[in-house]
Amino acid sequence: MTIFWMRPPKHALFCDARPNLDLNHQSQGNALRLRPTSRRMRPYLPTACRPNNVQFAARSSIQQTARRTYAFQASGTPSFQVFNRRTKWLQKERSGANATQSREVGYLKDEMAKRVSERLLDIKRNFPRTLDLGANSCNIARALIGPNPDNDPENPSSTPLPPLASKISELVAADSSSTLLYRDADTLPDGEVGEGMKLTRQVLGDEETLPFEPQSFDLVLSSLSMHWINDLPGYLAQINNVLKPDCPFIGAMLGGDTLFELRTSLQLAEQERKGGISPHVSPLADVRDVGGLLQRVGFKMLTVDVEDLIVDYPDTFALMQDLQAMGESNAILGREMGAISRDVLLANEAIYRALHGNEDGTIPATFRIIHMIGWRESPDQPKPLPRGTGEINMKDFFEKK
Amino acid sequence: MHPKPTQVRPIQRMAQAVSKCSAEASLYGKCILADYNSVHKDMCAKEFLKLKDCYLAASKGGK
Repeated sequence: MTIFWMRPPKHALFCDARPNLDLNHQSQGNALRLRPTSRRMRPYLPTACRPNNVQFAARSSIQQTARRTYAFQASGTPSFQVFNRRTKWLQKERSGANATQSREVGYLKDEMAKRVSERLLDIKRNFPRTLDLGANSCNIARALIGPNPDNDPENPSSTPLPPLASKISELVAADSSSTLLYRDADTLPDGEVGEGMKLTRQVLGDEETLPFEPQSFDLVLSSLSMHWINDLPGYLAQINNVLKPDCPFIGAMLGGDTLFELRTSLQLAEQERKGGISPHVSPLADVRDVGGLLQRVGFKMLTVDVEDLIVDYPDTFALMQDLQAMGESNAILGREMGAISRDVLLANEAIYRALHGNEDGTIPATFRIIHMIGWRESPDQPKPLPRGTGEINMKDFFEKK
Repeated sequence: MHPKPTQVRPIQRMAQAVSKCSAEASLYGKCILADYNSVHKDMCAKEFLKLKDCYLAASKGGK
């Protein structure tokens, strides 16, 4: 781009583009210095300052190739980037590559997959096409083909109910990390995996932009993967978009006070050792946020609830190793690069124990799981009555009682 | 690429060494907990150095 230096007309404020150079100014040393006396440098001239003929000439040659953008055209809602998606992808790939270790630490995700799929028992319906979004190592598929959670273990003689997989004809397991997704491909291959459920794996190039057709799924499940999504409102809106009308989304994500013990003790340790803190535990969505988000993107008949899973570890090193093996290490964009220094790790171990440690010498780690169910809007859905249509005054009702 | 199952990771060696210093660790932890709302740099430097000395001695003995 060429900048046209123009002779400034008298009293013109906006076209004062050329700095006036005071050549006579003598600085303290012997050297002659050029010093701009005017600080109003405007390298990007407003259109009014350009000579008209140049402007027309430029337009006719440029217009065909370059797209002109306008300052007043907003480029959509800006989304905050919190997590480094490439780092997260690498961590997941590494987790999947070390299969034995990553199976050992699958306890959290397997347990959550079970609890998410348990919620299907409440919906008396079959789901021809189901999406498992952020499938990790197909934990949900494994939970679905496992024994039905409604089977009574006290009464084994009663006819056992079929596994939940019988309600689903096709399960699409989608994740960004192919190594993690195909980790158990030898025992759980693509295709028919049991009870008439067909498993299809799909690797997502960009997990925040779903490549699926609108209204193409009868159910969307998501277990312990949404806490790494940068643009959660956009993600939920896309989920709503791929669902058919009157179809549910059942999700579970880590949120709120997850790993608050580690967060606080690492903060104290860094504060004392280094005199400042850097983020080591992700910022997480709270329960209130999730309810609001689901409502905002248009889900109906919401259910949001919380449960805490507390896992005891022998020491903080075991906790951090397990998190790493799960592929859940820190991936915040603004984090301090490189490993945590040994001094901080040492201080963290002592503070964690003193602040949160159990009496038997173990340390607890809290995982707060936010469960959510939302339904895609449909005209034949039950709806709340409009405001002011109630006929019984609640106050009278309770006072009479 | 990945450590073999028999190989001990440095972090595990560190965990073992730290586990031998529980007395010093709890002293340091108590020092921090005494005033954890206003922690500043080197607030418990003395206690930390004791803990670190113990850890260094333990990690040398372990090898």
